[in-house]
Amino acid sequence: MKKRFNPIKDKTSEIIEYLMSSPDIPDDEALQFKLRLSIEEAVENVVRYAYDGGIGWLEADIHFDEDSLLLTIELRDAGVPFNPLEREDPDVNLSVEDRDIGGLGIFLCKNLMDSIEYHYENGNNVLTMTKKV
Amino acid sequence: MNSSDMEVTINNNGDKTNVTIDGRIDNVTVEAFQQSMNTLIEGNQQDIEIDCSALSYTSSQGLRIFLILQKSVTKRGGKLVLSNMNAQVKEVFDITGFSNIIKIV
Repeated sequence: MKKRFNPIKDKTSEIIEYLMSSPDIPDDEALQFKLRLSIEEAVENVVRYAYDGGIGWLEADIHFDEDSLLLTIELRDAGVPFNPLEREDPDVNLSVEDRDIGGLGIFLCKNLMDSIEYHYENGNNVLTMTKKV
Repeated sequence: MNSSDMEVTINNNGDKTNVTIDGRIDNVTVEAFQQSMNTLIEGNQQDIEIDCSALSYTSSQGLRIFLILQKSVTKRGGKLVLSNMNAQVKEVFDITGFSNIIKIV
């Protein structure tokens, strides 16, 4: 299922709930926690940074492949070209004094999902995350 | 309680400060959470225990505030403990290395 949200300012929760309402998501609390958190972090990234003031669209797509058992979540926007995967991962071994406050969101997606990919096509940022369910 | 409700209770009991967080820390509640935590971040409490048994979810925005609090408590030479975290929230602290810098019991 796929839906375009426009504009996306203050729509983070609505977009999360739309994706989490997919009938393809199994009734498994631990899995739902991981999906919800990954979706929240990825959507917030677009809502906060893709467009100046959140004036722009985001297309949210979730689908399930029965052969591979892969649940795929795709987020597409026409904002500033930005590959969030290029950001260096936080160093999780630093002391409290040295730990930086940012950069945790996409790092969580990388760790909670099975795969995460970015590409830029036809003027759109496309972020694709998969999870075997 | 709605999915995006969150409540923080802070009790100063002599030398010890007991805090409970009830609900979710997400894009909706994070501002209220930040405001509640500012009391502790800007305060001088030396011994803080946060009961997380009713904390059902935290996004990276919540983690960020826990880190700011830990930095502030460390700087003033105090103690911060997070207790009774559920397994899923604990995993978020583990993945991000926050379990190494914030004491979790």
